[in-house]
Amino acid sequence: MFPVRCFTCGAVIAHKYEDYKGLIDSGKSPKEALDELGIKRYCCRRMFLTYKSVLKEFARYHGAVG
Amino acid sequence: MKVEVIRDDGFWTEFILRDSNPAFANAWRRAMKSHVPVMAVDYVDIYMNSSYLYDEILAHRIGLIPLKTNLEKFNLQNQCVCGGEGCPSCQVSLRLNVEGPRVVYSGDFVSDDPETVPVFDNIPVIELFEGQQLMLEAVARLGFGREHAKFQPVSVCTYRVLARVRINESCSSCRKCVQVCPRNVFSVDEDRVRVIDEFSCTLCKDCLKVCEENAIELTETDDFLFTVESIGQMEVREVARRALDAIKSKAQEMVSLMEEL
Ligand SMILES: [Zn+2]
Ligand SMILES: [Zn+2]
Repeated sequence: MFPVRCFTCGAVIAHKYEDYKGLIDSGKSPKEALDELGIKRYCCRRMFLTYKSVLKEFARYHGAVG
Repeated sequence: MKVEVIRDDGFWTEFILRDSNPAFANAWRRAMKSHVPVMAVDYVDIYMNSSYLYDEILAHRIGLIPLKTNLEKFNLQNQCVCGGEGCPSCQVSLRLNVEGPRVVYSGDFVSDDPETVPVFDNIPVIELFEGQQLMLEAVARLGFGREHAKFQPVSVCTYRVLARVRINESCSSCRKCVQVCPRNVFSVDEDRVRVIDEFSCTLCKDCLKVCEENAIELTETDDFLFTVESIGQMEVREVARRALDAIKSKAQEMVSLMEEL
């Protein structure tokens, strides 16, 4: 899951993650998307740039458990 | 001492503290970070968790969600009538009872107190897949930033000393300082080097190193430029005011201790 806060400065960033994903899907570059969302500091920007979801990968191999 | 606000949109503020000293500026900065109480989840009862995240990771994520609250309504747990055991006047329960497949957001929590709710409703907490279930009770309380970063009302909270830059008579207009300055403090006007942007100077002293005539005078002023960003629980103005109250009460405590001696 996407980190709730930036590891370095502690600002909340997760509430912008789905907007970010939407902008990326609409063909924007990560730079344009982050500038548009107002993520200014490079500590917060790298949180978006380097994120990779593993939860979906788990779901592919485990299937549902009850 | 005087405060001059430069920019303030509530949650991102820049202001200058004039005619002060580093001791006070730093005390204020530290008080904003660690002496203003904020509500955050500190204890989670998990009844059912069949998701892919461990209970601990889930609890940690829930703890980081900022909660806004009415600070007048709640006591600090160690000063509460219940003696720290936990009661409705020092803690709030947020319940979650959801089933997959879906993404669970911070807005899905059902709070016991309508005034204590997450600042943002759209923080993804966890993704549940087919057949996964989550049933938990998160208990929030007031705490201080010195205890855990989740109790900090501000993320960025810094100051820098403003500089006084002067060019004296021995300047030969060699323009080396104009080229070397990373903040473009200097400019050339009618063949004379002039200071055009003193405010941006960060006192890096690169200009002093290249100036062969020692014509530049750099001094620290008694003015401090603060940059403060709030997490969202309260506006920066309120954080700053509460921090000053905290410093004041600590100073008063000190005075009464001194009188007892
Ligand atoms: Zn950051
Ligand atoms: Zn109590």
